[in-house]
Amino acid sequence: MTNFEREDGVTRDDLVQRVALMEEMIAEGRRSTIRFGWIFVLWGLIDLAPIAWQLLVPHSDWVKNWSWPIAIACGVAIQFSGMAILRRKRGAVCSSNMRGRSISAVWAMMGLTAMLYFAGAMIAHKQWPVAFTAAMLMFVGMAHGTSAMILRWKAQGVVACVWWIGGVALFFLSNRYWLQIFVGEMCFGMIGFGLYAMWLERRNRSGIKGE
Amino acid sequence: MTNIEQHDGTTRDDLVQRVALMEAMIAEGRQSTARYGWMFVLWGLTYFAAIGWTVYLPYTEWAWPVCIAACTVVFGIVRSRQPRVAGKIDNLRRHSLDAVWQVIGGGIVVYLLAVIVSGQAKEPGYLAAVLFFNGLANGVSARILRWWPQAVAAAIWWGCGTAMLFFTTRTEELALFVTATFCGMIVFGLYAMWLERGAAALELHHA
Repeated sequence: MTNFEREDGVTRDDLVQRVALMEEMIAEGRRSTIRFGWIFVLWGLIDLAPIAWQLLVPHSDWVKNWSWPIAIACGVAIQFSGMAILRRKRGAVCSSNMRGRSISAVWAMMGLTAMLYFAGAMIAHKQWPVAFTAAMLMFVGMAHGTSAMILRWKAQGVVACVWWIGGVALFFLSNRYWLQIFVGEMCFGMIGFGLYAMWLERRNRSGIKGE
Repeated sequence: MTNIEQHDGTTRDDLVQRVALMEAMIAEGRQSTARYGWMFVLWGLTYFAAIGWTVYLPYTEWAWPVCIAACTVVFGIVRSRQPRVAGKIDNLRRHSLDAVWQVIGGGIVVYLLAVIVSGQAKEPGYLAAVLFFNGLANGVSARILRWWPQAVAAAIWWGCGTAMLFFTTRTEELALFVTATFCGMIVFGLYAMWLERGAAALELHHA
């Protein structure tokens, strides 16, 4: 019963091996997302920083125009430095399997798309209509949703839904609430998820040490 | 020199096999994207129909919901009639690509419905966002498949989306939207269909 030869020559053992390999790849993909939990926390804080800066210095045109570009440039610099340090400590930081590469493709392209959209809107001075902010939330939701579907990870799926709900809510609520929605998304969907991922990584590591 | 045992027990033959497997998976992924070239053409025509309706017909608020619903029905019918190629399309890369297109496609529908239901279809910037969403899907797919023609399609979507932030009259917006849809969806879809036809002819020749 354990080794039926099928018409196409695929045996039961082959199938069991393939399923095991796929499950291992899914687990490895999740582990690599968990390893990057700090990046979610970093970007959550980076996105909140210019808002706080503008609230602290409300009447400065300079702060209004430059707080976002400066914050994003700092975020990119910190992220690259962090990755370089990790690479030196642990060797390759990105998962080399196919699922890991798909996840990195999703996040890299989301970052590029959001950056192009954001830079274009900044230069054209069109960054605060509802459609723009909603689109930014949808971008992040799409990346989380795709990643959740590839990794079959419910927790990340819930985070994607939260981002989308925020994006949709912007169209229906008054303009006064955009700040609350944006800050809520950053705290829950970015910093909260990043902390959760970091906690999972810590637990995994202590589990490995315990073994 | 052909089978050196390494520190982790991986031999050269293992590595060669893995690389061959990965290349086969990339080729399968591209082939299956080419097999679905008709979907790009179908969605391109749907975008054209919706935009045409908003310009020339009354009840413009119904243009996108009706066109998307009709396209989804046609899509479901055609896909249910397509023979499933067992074993070939079920690779990991295929699963990732399915995830990309389903989630981003779903996101675009949710976004457009929110725009229309909230009555903010006149709000500037939402069409540009739709172009960027399409660029995102093509960009991720191109990077997973390492396929430069799809990267070009992504660049067209992004380029037209960026231009739309600067050229904001109704006519300019429509011209950019039609250009992106035509080049990034219909021409790319036709190219994929042409590739599939070539691959099918080659398979027939080998058989």
